[in-house]
Amino acid sequence: MMTLTSYLMISTFLFLCGLTAVIARKNLIAVLLGIELILNASALNFVAYTRFVNNNLDGHIFPLFIIIVAAAEAAVGLAIVIRFFQIRESIHIDDATQLQS
Amino acid sequence: MDNVIFIISALLTVTGALCVLLTKNVMHACVYLLTCLLGVAGLYVTLGADFVAATQLAVYVGGVVILMVFAVMLTGGPTSQSSNKFGIVKVPMMGNAKTYIIGIISAVIFALMAYKVLSRIIISIQAGELPAFTETVEKIGFMLVTDHVLAFEISSVLLLGALVGAAIIARPRRGV
Repeated sequence: MMTLTSYLMISTFLFLCGLTAVIARKNLIAVLLGIELILNASALNFVAYTRFVNNNLDGHIFPLFIIIVAAAEAAVGLAIVIRFFQIRESIHIDDATQLQS
Repeated sequence: MDNVIFIISALLTVTGALCVLLTKNVMHACVYLLTCLLGVAGLYVTLGADFVAATQLAVYVGGVVILMVFAVMLTGGPTSQSSNKFGIVKVPMMGNAKTYIIGIISAVIFALMAYKVLSRIIISIQAGELPAFTETVEKIGFMLVTDHVLAFEISSVLLLGALVGAAIIARPRRGV
């Protein structure tokens, strides 16, 4: 049951869900939730490979930095969302048209 | 025991990810993301990465998801004040058997994880010796300040920059 393949399948599923959420959801915060799913999928891949393939601890360092980067990304992204809501009174993704020429 | 934790964590992860994708309500999506991240932490435990699992619980579940919930509440969120047939205004997000089922499953997986981590320590206490530090924590701490010290320092600068940048971006400007 606990083989490398099952972990890779779970991580692939997480990645696909996150990618679909980023592409298809129309809410800015839902897009950020999708990004969190993608980051978790990659971190899970790192830990799974370091457990089953080369069994040293280098793969445990990467998830820590991924978690740090995800925290920073969430802080900045949510600040942008709140600022966007103050300007446009909406967080629908089709309202973000200010950078289009 | 490991198989039980693996199956429950995998189910939590997969259903959480699907529900994040499929629910309309963003607040519910945040709660489903929380269960999904709990499941990923359980998968880390089955892989023997206890420090990563603890960090995942502390930073993601305790920090990022709470930040998301605050952002949902600050940007309006669900505005429909639905009332039931007795005319009483329902408290939003307090109903719904699905929520309680997810909560019970999360409590069960948390108890299993705590049992798995604590059982060895409890056995060693009963044998009369002090509980040893787990291997990965000591080695990860050693590697963070030897091999990966550059990434460690850069991440601290990155966190400082993100904090200041977020504060500047979200600051209410005068006259707007």
